Amino acid sequence: MSDIGGVRRLHGWLTGVREAIPLLGGYIPVAISFGLISAQAGFSTAETLAISALIYAGASQFLFVGMIASGSPLWLTVAMTLLINVRHVVYAPNIAPWLPKSRWWPWLMHGLTDQIFALAHSRLPQLSESQRVGWFFGAAMLAWLSWIAGSLLGAVAGEWLTSRWPLLGEVMPFALPALFLVLIVPRFTSRRWAAALSVSVAAALVCTLVGLTNIGIPLAAACGALCFYMVRLPETLGTDKGTTKERRPS
Amino acid sequence: MSLELWIGMLIAAVGTYLIRLLPLLWMQRRLTRSGENGPVDALPKWLVILGPMMIAAVLGVSLVPRTADAAGWLATLIGLGVTLAIWWRTRSLGWPVMGGVLTFGVVVIVARSLM
Repeated sequence: MSDIGGVRRLHGWLTGVREAIPLLGGYIPVAISFGLISAQAGFSTAETLAISALIYAGASQFLFVGMIASGSPLWLTVAMTLLINVRHVVYAPNIAPWLPKSRWWPWLMHGLTDQIFALAHSRLPQLSESQRVGWFFGAAMLAWLSWIAGSLLGAVAGEWLTSRWPLLGEVMPFALPALFLVLIVPRFTSRRWAAALSVSVAAALVCTLVGLTNIGIPLAAACGALCFYMVRLPETLGTDKGTTKERRPS
Repeated sequence: MSLELWIGMLIAAVGTYLIRLLPLLWMQRRLTRSGENGPVDALPKWLVILGPMMIAAVLGVSLVPRTADAAGWLATLIGLGVTLAIWWRTRSLGWPVMGGVLTFGVVVIVARSLM
């Protein structure tokens, strides 16, 4: 029995690693940029790696090194870093119903980034309980290690890499919108959901275009949720009636 | 980094970790209390709505190309179309992403050479 359990956990782990591979297209180029900017801001390679390994939150890391380099007060830098990451508070409760009992979850929460949440929110309900811890461990660990490796590469050879293959840094990040599109499309189950999700996408896009990337995610999600509650459209795309208990929006 | 800066970085790291961890502990307690009603019922409705909205928002933020010129936007549009078409046929995760990235790259190169 324990052998079967072990095989399932290993299978879950490998599935998690395999399904997180598309994330690397977005993680590594951004991590290289972070490593490069951190080095240019005067941080050593070891310090850059420590920031990437311990804070592990893209946008807030850029803000952290940028504010320190520009001479901002430390308390303000820390406060702004945490403020940007506040959006993460809704992630764990959303996937909690799909997390079987395990002492590993508190530790694994370090890996709950925007991207891992999006992947886990879609995939965990489809996996068997015995595979979920392994799946999350595999996916989160691959993403975390790729982020650290990318930061190292950026700190050591960022300038050389970006000058030699400038197009690669532009093309690979498209893996992220492609992945998120694939994760979100199955949720267009009714006109109501389609309208709310479209509002959320459009609001986030506008926020990014006007330079409000960090506040853009929670703000756009709130706009989408508001649309969901306020707009009543005929349910013609599917049978989903909104927040029915038997069909969680997944 | 000075000692002061290391401490500041560690506070930011621990704070970020707690932002991810504490809501999980809160939700797990709520789930334990909800008992036989099932896990999905224990989720507040606003949270059920907000989860997919956050993913949609992350998609919106990531749509802006690194180089936001005409070629970048054209490649984004066509890349998303191809991603969607491959997903429609395969209903898988990896192939649509791979096809989308390849298409994005080809369109960027072709469009830049023509412009």
